Amino acid sequence: MATTAPITKVASLAASNPSSQTAPATLPPNVITLRQTAQLEALYTIIRDKKTGRGDFIFYSDRIIRLLVEEGLNHLPIVPKTVMTPTGVEYAGVGFEGRICGVSILRAGEAMEAGLREVCRSVRIGKILIQRDEQTALPKLFFSKLPEDIATRYVLLLDPMLATGGSAMKAVEVLREAGVPEDRIIFINLISCPEGLKTFCGKFPQCRVITGWVDRELNEKKFILPGLGDFGERRYTA
Amino acid sequence: MSSTEVTTDASTRKNTVLKSHGRLPWYNESGVPLFDAFVIGIAGGSASGKTHVAHEIVRQLAAIPSVVIMSQDSFYKWNDPEQIALAFANEKDFDHPDSLDLELFANCLRDLKRNRQTNIPVYSFSKHQRLDETQYLYGAAIVIVEGILVLHDPELRSLYDLKVFVHCDSDLMLARRIRRDVAERGRDVNGVIDQYLRFVKPSFDNFVQPSSRYADIILPPKDNSQGISLVTEYIRRKLSERSANLREKMALTDRMLSHVSTPSDIKDSMSDAAQRIGVILLDQTAQVKGIYTTLRDRTCVKEDFIFYCDRLSTLLVERAATELPFHRNEVTTAVGETYTGQTTNIKDLCGVTIIRWGGPLERGLQRVFNDIAIGSLLIQPDPSTSEPLLMHYQLPTCVRERHRARDAWVIVLGSQVNHSSSHMLYNCMCA
Repeated sequence: MATTAPITKVASLAASNPSSQTAPATLPPNVITLRQTAQLEALYTIIRDKKTGRGDFIFYSDRIIRLLVEEGLNHLPIVPKTVMTPTGVEYAGVGFEGRICGVSILRAGEAMEAGLREVCRSVRIGKILIQRDEQTALPKLFFSKLPEDIATRYVLLLDPMLATGGSAMKAVEVLREAGVPEDRIIFINLISCPEGLKTFCGKFPQCRVITGWVDRELNEKKFILPGLGDFGERRYTA
Repeated sequence: MSSTEVTTDASTRKNTVLKSHGRLPWYNESGVPLFDAFVIGIAGGSASGKTHVAHEIVRQLAAIPSVVIMSQDSFYKWNDPEQIALAFANEKDFDHPDSLDLELFANCLRDLKRNRQTNIPVYSFSKHQRLDETQYLYGAAIVIVEGILVLHDPELRSLYDLKVFVHCDSDLMLARRIRRDVAERGRDVNGVIDQYLRFVKPSFDNFVQPSSRYADIILPPKDNSQGISLVTEYIRRKLSERSANLREKMALTDRMLSHVSTPSDIKDSMSDAAQRIGVILLDQTAQVKGIYTTLRDRTCVKEDFIFYCDRLSTLLVERAATELPFHRNEVTTAVGETYTGQTTNIKDLCGVTIIRWGGPLERGLQRVFNDIAIGSLLIQPDPSTSEPLLMHYQLPTCVRERHRARDAWVIVLGSQVNHSSSHMLYNCMCA
C-alpha cells in the first residue's frame, strides 16, 4: 500500500541515526529511562545549549518533564475495569488505582510542578527545602510541608537534576519519616549521572527512579557533565 | 448552490473559484491519480460574451463539484516602465499573443489539470503591472479558461478537454466594448475606437477568429442557452465517467483491522495488525490503557474527556515527532562542555486538522510545537454513496508553494479513522 512507503522510509532514517545514550544495562535495576530516541536527544540538545534562551528552555524542558511524569505514572498500579461505551458495548479496560501526590525539592523541583499538573489535574503537592549545611557540608532539611495523608499516597518526588544524590536521599528520609513506604516513592529527574544513581539506588533499592538522560560523569566540583548548567538558575533567572 | 467569490478586487475578479457539493477522490486506493480535471477553453473576440458563457455553464451544471474559472488576463507579462507608460497612454497592444506569458499560462493550467495546486499571477489593470502576490488555486474538478487567445496557443490547446468559441459579429463587439469601457472604465469614446482600430481588430482578424477552427463547438453570442445546454450535458456525462468508488475498495483495508475490536486479545493482534498495514501504534502503557478506558466510558463527563484527550494527544504528537529526521549537532553546554547531540533541520512543519474530529488533538500539537501553523480540511461522505467529498481546505502557506511543500512535514490530525477513504483523500492532496 502506498501509505506504508513513507513510514518505512522514516523508520529507517531514524534507525540510521541512533542516539548517543549509553546502554541502560549498566544502570541499577530500579532505574527507568525514557525511550532514548533521536527526538528526545534533540530536546536535550536544546536545553543543554548555553545559547538557548529562557523561553525555549522552559518550553523544551516542560516537554521532557511531561514525558517523565507520564512514564512515572506508568509505575502506579492499575486494576481491570469494564466500562460501557456510548455505542452500548462493554469495554474491558483498566482503571487507575492508588492516590498520588507530588513532592518537589525546592527550588528547582518547583519547575516540574507545572508539567505534573498538566498530566495530573488538581494533584496535591508538598514541598521540601534542603540546603547544604556550611559546617558539616551535609544536606540539611530547612523546611517541609507535606499533605497530611501522604503516608497513604504514592509520591512523585521531583528534582530536575540528580548529581551527588545528597538532597534526594535527604528528601526520601523525610518522606520515610512521614510514613511513606520506600516502594511508594518514584523519584523523577531530567538528568542524572552514574555516580548519583549508584549512591541513591544503593541506599534506597525499593525506590524507583525515572530519569530522562544519564549523563557521562560528575566532575570534582560536583557538576554533571556534559550537563545543562544550573536548572533552577536557567529556568528562573538566567 | 452556494458559491464563493474568492477575490473581489477589480483586477482579479475574473478568476473565480466556485464550490458547492465537494469533490470526489481523483485517485485510486493506492494514491495513484485516476483522472485529470476537466478543462474547458472558451475563446472569442473581446466583448463577445465569454465570461457570460463560462458562468452560464456553471449555473446550468447546478450540482457542481468545484470549478475554477481562470482568465487569460492574469497572464499578461511583467511590464518595464516604458511599456507601463505606453499602457497608460492606451498605446500598448494588449491583444497580441506576445503580451501574454503563454509558457507560465500553460504550466499553471497543466498543474490544475493534473489536480495539483498552482499559484497564478495577479495582474493589475490600474497599475498596468503584474503584482508580487499570487492567487492560490487547487482542487477543482472543472477548470474553465477564458480569454480571446486561449485557443491560439497550441500548448494550451493540447490541455483542453473541450474547446468552445463564442462567435460574435464585429459591430456588436465594438458596440459592447464602447459601452463597457466608457461606463465601467471611464474612458472616452475616441480612445476606445482608436484602440479598437489599432490593436483589437487586427488581433481579432489575425489570431482570434482563425483560432475558431480548433473549436469543438461554436456558440452564437445571443440566445445561446441551447448551445450551453449541449456543452453542459457533455461535461456532466464526462464527469460521471470519472468516479472512483473508493470506499468500496477501502473497505478491504478496514476488514484487515476489524478482527481486533475485542479487547481480550488486544495486546498482540492489535500491534500486529497495525504493523501489517504500516501503522505505528502508541505504546500500550498502563496510563494509555487507563486513558482510553476513561474516554470510552459513557459516564465520562466533558471536563474529564477534554483533559484526557489533551493528555493523549500530547503523547500521540510526541510519538509522531520521533519520526522526524534528525542529524548530529554539536553544542556547548551551559557548563562549557562540548556536547554532540541531535537536531532537526526541517524548514517547514505544519499541522492540518481534519474537521471536525481532528480539532480535539490540536492542544497536544501545540504543546509539542508551540508556534506551529495549523490548516484545516473538511471531508464529508456523500449522503447517498458515502464516497468522501472534499468540501473545504485551508492549508498552511508552506504546503501551498510547491518548492516548500516538497520538503515540508505535515502532521495530520484526526481522532477517528472509520472513513479511511477520507484519509486517503488527504494523503493524495499532499503527494
